[in-house]
Amino acid sequence: MKTALAPARREQAASHFRAIGIPTRRVEEWKYSDLAKALGDTAFSQDTARWKLGKLPAGVEMFDLAEANAPDWVRTHLGSLKETALSAASLAYADGGVALRVTGAVETPLEIEFSGKGNLRALVVLEKNSALTLVEKANGDDQRNVGVEILLGANARLHHVRIARANAAVHIEEVAMTLARDAIYNAHYASFGATLSRLELDIALEGQGAQAHLSGVSVLSGEAHADITTRISHAVGNTQSTQLFKKVAGGKSRAVYQGKVTVAQGADGSDSRQTAKALLLGDRAEADLKPELEIFADDVKCAHGAAVGDLDADSLFYLRARGIPESDARDLLIHAFLEDAMAGIVRSDLRDQVRAAVNEALAS
Amino acid sequence: MLEIKNLHVSIGGKEILKGLNLSITAGQVHAIMGPNGSGKSTLSYVLAGRAGYDITQGSITYNGEDLGALPPEARAAKGVFLAMQYPVEIPGVTTMMFLKSALNAQRRARGESELDAIGVLKTVRRKAAALNVSEEMLKRALNVGFSGGEKKRLEILQMSLFEPKLAILDETDSGLDIDALKLVAEGVNALRDPARAMLVITHYQRLLDYIVPDRIHVLAGGRIVAEGGKELALELEAKGYDQIVKDAA
Ligand SMILES: Nc1ncnc2c1ncn2[C@@H]1O[C@H](COP(=O)(O)OP(=O)(O)OP(=O)(O)O)[C@@H](O)[C@H]1O
Ligand SMILES: [Mg+2]
Repeated sequence: MKTALAPARREQAASHFRAIGIPTRRVEEWKYSDLAKALGDTAFSQDTARWKLGKLPAGVEMFDLAEANAPDWVRTHLGSLKETALSAASLAYADGGVALRVTGAVETPLEIEFSGKGNLRALVVLEKNSALTLVEKANGDDQRNVGVEILLGANARLHHVRIARANAAVHIEEVAMTLARDAIYNAHYASFGATLSRLELDIALEGQGAQAHLSGVSVLSGEAHADITTRISHAVGNTQSTQLFKKVAGGKSRAVYQGKVTVAQGADGSDSRQTAKALLLGDRAEADLKPELEIFADDVKCAHGAAVGDLDADSLFYLRARGIPESDARDLLIHAFLEDAMAGIVRSDLRDQVRAAVNEALAS
Repeated sequence: MLEIKNLHVSIGGKEILKGLNLSITAGQVHAIMGPNGSGKSTLSYVLAGRAGYDITQGSITYNGEDLGALPPEARAAKGVFLAMQYPVEIPGVTTMMFLKSALNAQRRARGESELDAIGVLKTVRRKAAALNVSEEMLKRALNVGFSGGEKKRLEILQMSLFEPKLAILDETDSGLDIDALKLVAEGVNALRDPARAMLVITHYQRLLDYIVPDRIHVLAGGRIVAEGGKELALELEAKGYDQIVKDAA
């Protein structure tokens, strides 16, 4: 990142990472995901991972972070949001990445794909009143650490669909986001696991009326591990957040959801809902669901819940008693379990894409 | 058609049915009445093949075949249908899509050709209209948020769609208003057929005014303790179960 990031800021990020290093399971937030073990001795390599963009629609500006002469909007925002040790690492060590700036209401979805090994950075800036649909694909059997910053200006709308598919990979993605007044972030994360995959989101609802609606499905088998960790802070009043995560874990796989919602003092009229459910299909599958709520304001509506279970025996019997063979009945119930989490995907073409990926994962 | 001999059934080691005998021939409608907890639903679940019900003694023969050995889906394909006392709510599966899957699964199992979506839709719509099951209900998730009466009407809609050979109705009349009761009774009577047998479980003589049974069995303490013609229902209404059980002893 020749010009996008000031050398001093880069050095600061490097020392932040060096001070903490790759988190072990002794770190509370990493209790369920043993990153140090998954990485082995290699840590993340010094390489820079790759990114690829679909056709750039009108209203979207792009800057390649490896290039010289970074524009002001890149210099201002890159590395400006909250960082974790791992996002500090991608900021310090990635030698490239992509920055996007949206100025209009863009209809056509923009596809972005991450692949390869090493660190990578992405910056997405939606100016006020702009809108974008971002379809993210995270592929490849590599060890990768991606740091993403997303800034939503007043009344901006980002619809984000992420489909992550890998096998023998270690994929970390650390997303930091801030939402100004009346901005809306609507996201769906479909993950099919890896040796270890973790999507970590830090979302700050900083303007009145800002909303974040997150949903996700996970279909895991074999020894796959998928972790979604979210932190949402309702910094001001009349902000909304909803989270609905459904996970199906078979074989010896492990599904993790940790979600922390904080409602700051004075953030009255905030509304937060959080649900995570897991279906365990194998005796050795595991789900760790941990919704958490910290409220410092008085007048708020908050609800959270989590449940881990097996397919419902009564439902299974009902379907079989109507002639549906056991394996079909199980399939039907698994799809039904995941369905409401996918229903939140706004665009029907993207909903179909996620459904197709889910069907494929369930069939294998 | 159905021959139950000395049936003993336990749930989790606890014996619920204790030597039950019952036989129904094709073309007949039988009613089972009996106090709460006497084992009526247990019998209906055992006939449909629900897991967890152990047949420790006796036999269930259906058209010459040992019914107890078949999984629930095979029983359904062979024409056994149970309208459940408590139909299950299944979020995420729409009613229409469920009906289509079930109907075609049964047809497939019998080696019949599957019906296309439009064929199923037409048949379901026609039968649904007769039972006052709205188009909107068919689009909703199966039984989710349906009122008690709506759930029961949907059970009967399934019966009329699947055209079973042996239909067991477990308290289908409970929770129905008078109009719905008549509709359901009409639905049942329309299915009366020389090739079909029905077993109607009820607490109310009222239903038997509409669906006139050939025979009534009184189930108490896991056994049939009294049997008779349709007049037995009136006697039960007048005397109560206690007296009938005593009279029979
Ligand atoms: N899963 C179970 N585990 C233990 N006991 C059970 C179970 N299911 C039923 N029973 C018991 O078996 C007995 C018979 O129950 P069943 O539901 O068959 O009665 P019923 O005649 O249908 O009653 P009702 O008229 O109230 O519907 C009851 O004592 C009940 O508590
Ligand atoms: Mg009962």
